[in-house]
Amino acid sequence: MSVAAQALPPGRNALRARLSLLDAAVVGPLRQAPGRTLLAVLAIALGVALGFAVYLINRVAADEVQGASRSLFGLADLTVQSPGSGFDESLFPRLLRVPGVAAASPVVEVQVRLPGRERNLKLLGIDPFRAMQLQPALAGAGASTERQGQGLLAENSIWLSPAAAQSLELEVGDDLDVQVALDRVRFRVAGILPPGAYSQPVGLLDIGEAQWRLQRLGRLDRIDLRLAPHADRPSVRNAIAALLPPGTQVVTPGEATDDAVRLTRAYRSNLTALALVALFTGAFLVYATQSLAVARRRREIALLHAMGMSVREQLAASLLAGTIVGALGAALGVILGALVARAGLASFGADLGAGYFRGVAPALNVSAGEYLVFFVLGAGAALVATFGPAREAASVPAAAALKAGDEAPMAPRTHGRIALALFAAGVLALALPPLEGIALPGYVAIACLLLGAVFLTPSIASTVFARLRTDGPAWRQVAVAQLRGTARRATVSIAAVLVSFSLMVAMAIMVFSFRMSLEAWMQRILPADLYVRAGSAAAGAYLDVNAQRSITALPEITRADFVKFQDVLLPGERLPLTIIARPIHEPTAGQVIPIRRSATGPAPQGAIPVWASEAALDLRGFDVGTEFDLPIGGRVVRATVRGIWRDYERPGGSIVMNRDTFIALSGERTATTAALWLREGTDAEEFSGRLRDAIARSGDYDVAIPGEIRQRSLALFDRTFAVTYLLEAVAVLIGLFGISASTSSQVLARRGEFGMLRHLGVTRREIGRMLAFEGAALGAIGVAAGLVVGAIVSMILIFVVNRQSFHWTMDVHVPWGLLAILSLVLVGAAAATAAFSGRRAMGEDVIRAVKEDW
Amino acid sequence: MSLGPLAPSQARVGWDVSFRSLLLLLVLPHVLPLRASAETSYPPVVPGHEIAFPRDEGSHPDFRIEWWYVTGQLDDATRKAKSPLGFQVTFFRVRTGLAADNPSSFAPRQVLFAHAAIADPATGQLHHAQRSARTGFDLAYAREGQLDVKLDDWSIRQVAPGRYVTAVHGEDFDFELTLASTQPPLLQGERGFSRKGPDPRAASYYYSLPQLAVTGAVTVGGSTRKVSGQAWFDHEWSSDYVDENALGWDWLGVNMTDGGALMAFRMRDRQGGERWAGATLRLPSPGGAGDVKFAGTGEVTTFGPEAVHWAPLQSWRSPRTGVTYPVQWRVQVGDRRYRVEPLLLDAELDSRPTTGILYWEGPIRLIDEATGQEAGRGYLELTGYGGKRG
Amino acid sequence: MLELHDVARSFGGPAGRRVLDGVALTVMPGEYVAIVGESGVGKSTLLNLIAGLDVPDSGQLLLEGRDLARLGEDERTQVRRTRMGFVFQAFHLLPHLSIARNVALPLALNGQAGRAADDRVMELLEAVGLGDRASSYPRELSGGESQRVAVARALAHRPALVLADEPTGNLDPDNAAMILEVLRAQIKRDNAAGILVTHSAAAAASTDRVYELTRAGLTLRP
Repeated sequence: MSVAAQALPPGRNALRARLSLLDAAVVGPLRQAPGRTLLAVLAIALGVALGFAVYLINRVAADEVQGASRSLFGLADLTVQSPGSGFDESLFPRLLRVPGVAAASPVVEVQVRLPGRERNLKLLGIDPFRAMQLQPALAGAGASTERQGQGLLAENSIWLSPAAAQSLELEVGDDLDVQVALDRVRFRVAGILPPGAYSQPVGLLDIGEAQWRLQRLGRLDRIDLRLAPHADRPSVRNAIAALLPPGTQVVTPGEATDDAVRLTRAYRSNLTALALVALFTGAFLVYATQSLAVARRRREIALLHAMGMSVREQLAASLLAGTIVGALGAALGVILGALVARAGLASFGADLGAGYFRGVAPALNVSAGEYLVFFVLGAGAALVATFGPAREAASVPAAAALKAGDEAPMAPRTHGRIALALFAAGVLALALPPLEGIALPGYVAIACLLLGAVFLTPSIASTVFARLRTDGPAWRQVAVAQLRGTARRATVSIAAVLVSFSLMVAMAIMVFSFRMSLEAWMQRILPADLYVRAGSAAAGAYLDVNAQRSITALPEITRADFVKFQDVLLPGERLPLTIIARPIHEPTAGQVIPIRRSATGPAPQGAIPVWASEAALDLRGFDVGTEFDLPIGGRVVRATVRGIWRDYERPGGSIVMNRDTFIALSGERTATTAALWLREGTDAEEFSGRLRDAIARSGDYDVAIPGEIRQRSLALFDRTFAVTYLLEAVAVLIGLFGISASTSSQVLARRGEFGMLRHLGVTRREIGRMLAFEGAALGAIGVAAGLVVGAIVSMILIFVVNRQSFHWTMDVHVPWGLLAILSLVLVGAAAATAAFSGRRAMGEDVIRAVKEDW
Repeated sequence: MSLGPLAPSQARVGWDVSFRSLLLLLVLPHVLPLRASAETSYPPVVPGHEIAFPRDEGSHPDFRIEWWYVTGQLDDATRKAKSPLGFQVTFFRVRTGLAADNPSSFAPRQVLFAHAAIADPATGQLHHAQRSARTGFDLAYAREGQLDVKLDDWSIRQVAPGRYVTAVHGEDFDFELTLASTQPPLLQGERGFSRKGPDPRAASYYYSLPQLAVTGAVTVGGSTRKVSGQAWFDHEWSSDYVDENALGWDWLGVNMTDGGALMAFRMRDRQGGERWAGATLRLPSPGGAGDVKFAGTGEVTTFGPEAVHWAPLQSWRSPRTGVTYPVQWRVQVGDRRYRVEPLLLDAELDSRPTTGILYWEGPIRLIDEATGQEAGRGYLELTGYGGKRG
Repeated sequence: MLELHDVARSFGGPAGRRVLDGVALTVMPGEYVAIVGESGVGKSTLLNLIAGLDVPDSGQLLLEGRDLARLGEDERTQVRRTRMGFVFQAFHLLPHLSIARNVALPLALNGQAGRAADDRVMELLEAVGLGDRASSYPRELSGGESQRVAVARALAHRPALVLADEPTGNLDPDNAAMILEVLRAQIKRDNAAGILVTHSAAAAASTDRVYELTRAGLTLRP
């Protein structure tokens, strides 16, 4: 030991040594290729950011739905509810008299359209004296004097939740028009509720006022119940259930909240799956960059080995480098993800434009724990991805690698067996049923297929490379030799393209099939010349008998079909089924709705013929010939399924029945929409103005020709899938990153080679062409394999995932043109990326590279 | 309790509020409009109206406000407890003037409120509860023709002439009591026409039933005891408004040991000074001294402010609200001097979160200072000590 | 065949460092000359100028009568491809090509393939003593063998001029001697002009003439 070294405390000495080693083996390599390191960091960051953003948006959405649902119920132990038509108010005193029931709060709940605002608002008619017992925050409403204004009982007065006041930009004293049937009813904002009462936008009014002004006399939609402290809950619940009319259920607020959340779960789980793909692709890129870095740094690593760095130390150094990349990327990713989520929520709302959570005002609070989980996920993915390359680095044979002209033996290792096993596992997964309504096995199958394809890539690559012609211009010979010689590196790039492109292909085929099917379906479902719609989700807006009469009376109208949508709860079920009541008769049913399968024999006596949607078939087993109990108008009738039809609008399931039958059973004469056929020669556009004059009502309603409706629906469709397009684009971008990273690292390793070629009389252009050829070859193989894999994945999406998640089927339509363009663009992009990454090879300094030893 | 018994001599004061109407004023804004719609017309209270029993014991739904108010002291019938239990139960009816045309069964035309409390001097605790509901669905109503008022599982009704049953179910107490009258009703003011101010329209119809014999059962803290005792019953209905200048009052109503009845009160203004005072004393019947059954026909004396003096002796500070209540008093009515002693200190009712009211209402003993003997038992009510009215 | 007249080259603009000045040199076909000099004296710059990878600031640089300085980059590349061969210190064999294909690379660049090309490759490999290693890959060769392949590659397309830059720098003396011998023999056999840039006196001794590059210019060492 030198004198100088002795002068220092040994601990610090060791530390210094360690630091310098760290610099040589870990930080140095990262710093040496800052561009590539940055790419890897960005890839992880993108993956984490997407995953995190989607997770956050989902979480916020679920929280909002849950919180909103929860705040509706207050302290209720049980709630009695009936979606759709509600129930008779006489149930209220009967429930309050059930032994064990301590308090009962009746509620009239109507989703009303706000004319002139193009949005809806949930109005709750409550009895404040009763509601205070379950919703203490309402009592506080009186205490906050400055917001108080008038009492809740006052005529025409409405209290708004803070969310409603904010989003409608209303203050105490302002007027608020709501639509009932086709008329405007004016309320005055009498107060703003304290923030604790309701988290979602709602308007509160007295129940008597609500029944009267909202045309709900004698009806209730919900009764919230609080039980006595020592009541035996199951028996009280049973006693309540025994009192309920058909179509009415008693549930705990938790169950009701779960139902509300479950409605959107399929959509959210699909988004999550896509986000995971992004993270997977990010990790894959870390793998790619790290393994390429190992290849590039072979001699450097060998030198460190030769100088006495142990295999274990080398392994640790590589893993550390990967972890640094992962940590940087993950840190960037979580920040980015939170920002993206915030921006997404601000501009699209919690459903990213899909229309599931209308009226929900989301707020984002990210906990430290959530940041940590996704940070660890990202850093972990990078670490795992580094493991393979790290082991490779640790096993670099020092002597061979140090020899000039050495290159790693790059014959690809093939994993045909693993690939086959994964494919088999995927097929097996497809045979499994969905897990609690989530198409998890479908996703597993897709994952198996993708992984299997990745494992199969080396075999594909070597097969294709072996078949490439070796004659032709020298640059091509060199390129082909290079591809063959570096097949293992090449497979990484190919796999990156394959994975991302196959997902893009799959989504493209699925979305295109869906869009084409939707378009065809709308053609079928909208046969009339003109449509009148009172309100979309707003039950408060409808065509009353007067409106129907004024419409029918117009001489230009040759036929008017009025359609009523009504939710109904089947016995023992929690999710409502939609009844679509419209003129329909058995022999001609196929002309009214797109029927997939029909009953052949005669309908059983006494049963009402209905046509069930595919979702009703999937969720409830309503096949052709099935008979079931259908609660309508407070009683139960027997219904028989006469056919299965395709319904893209209601994933919860629907049945179509004749409206005359429906009216006879329920007494409900209102309609939601009207389909109008006009006399020959009547101009629909021009006529719609006269129609409005004839209806002469103050509320908002839509009069639209089918073309407009189709256009609007398709626009909504495209908006819904905009997010998925974004996710795919990112996946493909990451795939291209892979090619870029691969090429640029090889370019560095091949500087000497390029210098030599330039000496030998190869032009810069030819070197560029050579690199482009190599990139294009990698891209083309990835694209070709991606097309095949993507096509299979799209079939899984169409026939398994969509069917299980949303219960709709579609006809397969392949967007050939789009796929051809995408393929060409991607191959071109791969070539361009490779050539661009290799632009350094064309600089003059490469000539001097022949002097370098490495 | 009722500041109702305002003799004509006090009417010029222009202070036309009773605790009940004040309570309503504070409660109702949370759920009711402050002013009824203009077209609603309430019947006026006029002199000369003959109060008839049992018809006028029932509800008068056309009038704006109405209340039935019972306070009393109960002795444990089985175990001779040292101190009696105090109880209070009140039903208010309000005609909102709203929703006259609304065909809904929920139309809030009539609203009922109820307060009840058990004061237990043995534990020093006051248990209280409240209810409110609009009438309808047979769940809440105030019937006409005879006393029959119900608010979910709370009720007060006549079961036989001069016999009433009230049932209350609070969160931590229950009671079901039978009240039997032992004396004829005491019509206040001019045969039940009780003026409240210089404006002759400011008046109420008003009568009291002192010296009610109480039997029944009280459940507190999970244990039920049979009880018996005496109570004071007030029934008043009106359509009128209240004085904005009154801050609060001190009031007592006592069933005298000799079968007589004493009510005394004073009103305080916003400066804390005495705005008015008064008292009513009904002596036992001359022939039946000592036997309450034959009392109540004796002479009724009304005292003006010059003859009624309240002097606080001792205060109690609520640990919950920090409000200080003068709970022990020397009260002089004419030439009679009494000491008012609370049976428990903490009789504060804090229902501000729901109804906005903070007051002290608890059982008392009345000591005749001349003899040092107990002269009667009753209830003391102290309002407006929280700085706000009520 | 190769003539340099008063060639000058400086770097870093007009006021920059003048590396070469007044260099003159003539090498005829079949002549094999060495250029020696100290490090940093401009040997590489001179070599790049001769190879057409760089152009002189002034003076003439004629290869087979054509002034390289007047040619465009593509033309100079073309000249390199057809008329020059190179041997590098670090061999620079393409790792993924077999020995034979490495040697055939200049032929491929000149569009020559097929039987004649194959024969030429074999002929050269035999000549450098590696006739039996044609299908081997560079990583299977020793340094000396690699450099012999490089020599074969440099001569494959019968260049007019062979440039060798420290070809023995990475080799032990035995192998170095062998390479020098092979190089000389091949240049002489194809009647090419050869220029060897080296530090090594032994290497220089294997050539016909030795020039020394100094700040003053290129001078023939007696």
